[in-house]
Amino acid sequence: MSADDPLCDTTRHEQLIVAVALHRDREAFARLFDHFAPRLKAWLMRSGASEIDAEDFAQETMMTVWRKADLFDPLKAKAATWIFTIARNKRLDKFRRDSRPLPVPEITFDMEEVPRPDDLLASSQDAHRVRMALAKLNPHQIELLQMAFFFGRPHSEIASQLDLPLGTVKSRIRNAMAKLRQMLEPERDVL
Amino acid sequence: MAPTRMISEELLASYANGTISAPEALVVSTHLALRPAHDIWVRQLQAIGGELLDTAAPAAMSDQALTRTLSMLDACASEVEQQPPLNEMSELPEPLRRYALGPWRWVGPGIRVRDVHAPRDGDTRVILLKINPGCETPKHTHGGVELTCVLSGAYATETERFDVGDLEEADGDVLHQPRVISDEPCLCVVALDGQIKIDGWVGRLIQPFVRL
Repeated sequence: MSADDPLCDTTRHEQLIVAVALHRDREAFARLFDHFAPRLKAWLMRSGASEIDAEDFAQETMMTVWRKADLFDPLKAKAATWIFTIARNKRLDKFRRDSRPLPVPEITFDMEEVPRPDDLLASSQDAHRVRMALAKLNPHQIELLQMAFFFGRPHSEIASQLDLPLGTVKSRIRNAMAKLRQMLEPERDVL
Repeated sequence: MAPTRMISEELLASYANGTISAPEALVVSTHLALRPAHDIWVRQLQAIGGELLDTAAPAAMSDQALTRTLSMLDACASEVEQQPPLNEMSELPEPLRRYALGPWRWVGPGIRVRDVHAPRDGDTRVILLKINPGCETPKHTHGGVELTCVLSGAYATETERFDVGDLEEADGDVLHQPRVISDEPCLCVVALDGQIKIDGWVGRLIQPFVRL
């Protein structure tokens, strides 16, 4: 990320989605597109898709952002989280080997969803906690998190790429995830 | 239940990043409806994914990509999504309510099965399995993965016990014979990959007639 104040940057993306929802603001959409489409494309290419498929996927995801903008609730998720979730739902749907038009189970942060006690955790304050937690991982753990979780590469492939035994890779990934989960774990009495 | 917990960590990650198969996603989604602590973690994984997306190195889009997308916006603006109707089993957790269900079929003493008309992935599909108290499923192995979430009642395998909300991942090699240990019938949702191969005399008896 650049030297810009990241919080300001985030707020700006959230305001852009709200502008799309309220005014069908094409300029706001274009700015969201400029930031997120190339990153969605990179995400899918690193996950194993061809450049053409990845570009189509990025465009389709951004069109869903346009279509669902009025369901975006900045109190429930920050812009990047909401867009990542839309991309996750689309990936699950697009790459299944079944042509029947049935809905896949989606993850949503929609405003029409019934409010739940854990909603506070999905607030912007939580996004800050996530950023702080990621900052506490070492570079190797971040790399593993990117490969295994973000890009969804098989552990066996990561092992051969890093020239490490499979067991080592598995336990390092597990440790990195456990560390994150521990840092982000809500207070026990909340549950 | 440490091994289950470790399996589900990896499973939850693939659910959160969308690389899981659609039938398994439905079973995990059901599990999350019954296990709020794991649901919170999945939502935090979305936030982690969002943060990694926000800070990822971009891959340049082609020159006309934005223009092309802008020109398609008006066509997709009016699209209305309709929720499919709820099915009749009001005892099911929310993620399973929106899929049509096939008829119950008898597959062995005290064992009934019905199809969930959810997205498949190749040979992988979703079924509901209802087993009476004290009954065992026939001993079986699998062609691939079997992912099970308990919806009511409880069962035990040779080594572990599974209660409402618990998730069990059985792989292809394990010879599996779950036995219901609750007083009520045990209802499970299962993602099945490939055909179940049934062992023993019941299996040999019913295998020719039953496609599980």
